[in-house]
Amino acid sequence: MNISLALIHWAIVLSMPILLVGLVNRTKSWWVGRKGPRLLQSAYDLWRLLGKRPVVSITASPLFRAGAYVVLICGLLAASMIPLLGQFAPLQFSHDFVVVAYTLGLARIVLMISAMDVGSPFEGMGAAREASFATFAEPALFLLIGTASAATGMTSFADLIGHLHNTPHYAIIVVPLTIALLILLQAEAARIPVDDPTTHLELTMIHEVMILDHSGPELAAMQYAAALKMTLYAGLIAALINPFNPLTDPVAGVLVSLALMLTVAIVVGCIESLSARLPMRWVPAYLLTASVAALGSMLVIGLGASGV
Amino acid sequence: MNQLILAVLILMLGAGFCLLPIRNSTRAGIGLVSQAVATLVAWSVVIPVLLGGPDITGEMPWAYPIGDLHFRLDALGAFFLSWSLPMTFLGGVYAVGYMDKYFSTPRHLGVHFALLNMISVSFLLVYTGEHTVTFLFGWEIAALAAWLLVIWDYPNEKVRFAGFNYLVSTHIGLIFLVAAVMILYTRTHSWFLDDFGDWMSHNPGTLRNTVFLLLVTSFGLKSAFFPFHSWLPRAHAAAPAHVSALMSGVIHKAGLYALVRFILLLGKPDEWMGWFLIVFSVISALVGGLYTVGQRDLKRLLGYSSTENVGIAGIGFGIGCLGMNWDSPGLVALGFGGGLLHVLNHAFFKCQLFYAAGCVYQVKHVVDLERLGGLFKLMPITALCFIVGGIAISALPPFNGFASEFMIYSGLFTGESIGVWAKLTLGLVAAALAFVGAVSALSITRAFGVIFLGNLRDSSLPEGREASRWMLLPMGIHAVGTIVLGVVPVLGLAMVAGPTALLMRAMPNGVATVNLQSTMEIMTRIGLISGALVLSIGLVIWWRLKSQKAPQPMLNATWGCGYGAPTPRMQYTGASFSTDFAAHFKSIMVLIKRKKAPAGYFPDDSYVITDCVDSVERRLYSVISHGDETATDLSRKMQEDDPRLAFSAGLAALVVIAALVLLAEGVLP
Repeated sequence: MNISLALIHWAIVLSMPILLVGLVNRTKSWWVGRKGPRLLQSAYDLWRLLGKRPVVSITASPLFRAGAYVVLICGLLAASMIPLLGQFAPLQFSHDFVVVAYTLGLARIVLMISAMDVGSPFEGMGAAREASFATFAEPALFLLIGTASAATGMTSFADLIGHLHNTPHYAIIVVPLTIALLILLQAEAARIPVDDPTTHLELTMIHEVMILDHSGPELAAMQYAAALKMTLYAGLIAALINPFNPLTDPVAGVLVSLALMLTVAIVVGCIESLSARLPMRWVPAYLLTASVAALGSMLVIGLGASGV
Repeated sequence: MNQLILAVLILMLGAGFCLLPIRNSTRAGIGLVSQAVATLVAWSVVIPVLLGGPDITGEMPWAYPIGDLHFRLDALGAFFLSWSLPMTFLGGVYAVGYMDKYFSTPRHLGVHFALLNMISVSFLLVYTGEHTVTFLFGWEIAALAAWLLVIWDYPNEKVRFAGFNYLVSTHIGLIFLVAAVMILYTRTHSWFLDDFGDWMSHNPGTLRNTVFLLLVTSFGLKSAFFPFHSWLPRAHAAAPAHVSALMSGVIHKAGLYALVRFILLLGKPDEWMGWFLIVFSVISALVGGLYTVGQRDLKRLLGYSSTENVGIAGIGFGIGCLGMNWDSPGLVALGFGGGLLHVLNHAFFKCQLFYAAGCVYQVKHVVDLERLGGLFKLMPITALCFIVGGIAISALPPFNGFASEFMIYSGLFTGESIGVWAKLTLGLVAAALAFVGAVSALSITRAFGVIFLGNLRDSSLPEGREASRWMLLPMGIHAVGTIVLGVVPVLGLAMVAGPTALLMRAMPNGVATVNLQSTMEIMTRIGLISGALVLSIGLVIWWRLKSQKAPQPMLNATWGCGYGAPTPRMQYTGASFSTDFAAHFKSIMVLIKRKKAPAGYFPDDSYVITDCVDSVERRLYSVISHGDETATDLSRKMQEDDPRLAFSAGLAALVVIAALVLLAEGVLP
């Protein structure tokens, strides 16, 4: 039972990054009236990159090429602990969410170091932005977990998210928590309004500018890792909303989870089509909204338990 | 006990021989050998105690008014001794390489090594002292020896000033400590710490609270908690690299030792003490972390990160206090265990980072971020040690910083049944800790990226290569420790198990070590994950980059937007990296910008210099200079030779003293 769930989990983790990126791009082209790329276009792009011979800057140190693979491995390790399907993750133990957050943190620091490695002012700028926005985004995740931990009394990520559905204030807190996660998704996966993945001006990039000098298989690893991060957050949102428990109701749980993740991709695509990116100086305020939303749900839990 | 006395004697003798009129290299040899022998001798008793053996006690008759001296080596002291002594020895080894150019000069190097021996003596006194006088004596030896070590380069006025600043601060700390001891002495009429403990555990109330606050202030000054940290960045920037490393990683851990020791003596701490420690520590961690962002001097940056890390350990101790108050052994185990483990881990990676900074200084003669760059290719070992330490200090897996922060997070997100508001508040603390982690990742990326990656910014600096083996060896040993304690965190946990069990037994309904067992299991899992991470990264890198089949990359210039001839000065600098972030924290970080904008059609001379200054120190000096002016002003207005004024002032002072004596009845024996 658990083994088949784990297999499904890994199938989703490995295939969804391609599908979600395709769906976001399809949604965007639908809004502007184009036919748009195929749903699996990014798989073809990755395959093409894998066959290419990399070009490396003469300034770069040996860390540069290794960095891309470290980022990818960290993403996969985090994916094994994130409850995409609800109350289940292949690797589950108490306080595993700390490992998730810090493994993704390792991916981030390695990405930034790879960017600094080529000595380009553009890439340094991207790394500085990534580092500074991460400091504003990071607390939101822990506030969210703090809320769930106080509400459920559980200690593992899957239990926290899974048991949240049975708590008395679930209907109230699910709204701010979903908003917080969506903002985190936009920040971590470099989507509008935080970052624009299709911009062509180096000065306005964040994530794209950090991988300007990567090429070939390393670029493929970086791009897949970025899409994987979007999958992880989309999966968290799905698990937060999904009313079915995958342990008792596997078919419905998995299907609803999949549908929700695809919906998240469509929502992200719609936001990207209908709004422009924020000015850089407003981004921290936008990211703090996630923390404020999580703080609000904390307050609800606290007041609710005090009987107000 | 005899082995410890023998260790002290060996160290003192070694220090004495170091001062003999012989060659500098012989002096260094004597210092190192005596350190190594003393460490081994001390280990022979320390390790059994650490692994759960019985406490070792000793008495030594001494003259009036001090009376018998008592020593006791328990698990807590053994834990601190077990790594403090060898790390000081490694610092001595590093000193041989770092002081290389002085060996052939008339400069007396023996003093330096003798002082390092005295530092070790102070550890033996402080970590075993049961008698207040020996405890304070060791405390003071450490302070004076550290001061003398800091001012090695005394002809430089800035170094003298930094040393003086440190000396004054550490003695202000001593005043608070002595005040607390005086209060305790008047209540117990005893010099012994266990008698203090007896009184404190039976008399909670205002006086105990006062003692607690005095002690926290004193230990906060010793360990450089915010806002008592202003001496620290100056001292660390001025001292030789190994002295900075030892001060930050080892010597000032005595403050945290004393804090835990007195918490142990307190019996059951009040709830407010736990919350107070947590808030105090969170502020330290936040402010220390923020200040690392703006520094352009690498050693100052590392100094501020000490303030951050003692804060993180302090959060653990605060959780432990709450656990003791709430009778929750799980929280005590996670809080104190995590805090102590962080102290150990910090000693490993902080010394390593300072040693790397010393290697950079040795070859380039500067540690200014804005002038360095591209050192990875010249000194790959130093660069790798720095980034391993940097990842550890940002508490990221797979290195040791993560293991201890994981334990502290486990305490913050406890599964024990505590009040919902307490739980939510601890969640807020966790969010603050997450912020601190992200900030230190920022400043480590900035420091590593600007110093070791890219191209050298200032071509006027001397050619560089890897530093001498005397310096690489201690740094390498620390790096191995950082990695091993990260991949096998159970080792570190086994070291803190003894002292943590001590604290758990101090609880009213002293409980067994079942809770440590479950922590052990989780930490084994963390170790497995870290190990798997290291292994898979290694495998993939070998497969993709090193194996025969991997495609060899083509080399080309960095993408420059079509412009192929940029100068290294166009790279992103440390200041540009931090300016955007620092702009959000203007009220805490004072950034001073001096600039001359380019003017005219052919601008020639223009510059921007950004400096982050310490707001506490700035405020302190402005208050002092203001007070100075006021005093001068006052004395000008008063006619001091007016006898009426002098007599009335004298009378008022007498009345005040008499009133104090009368009001404080019972205080005098």
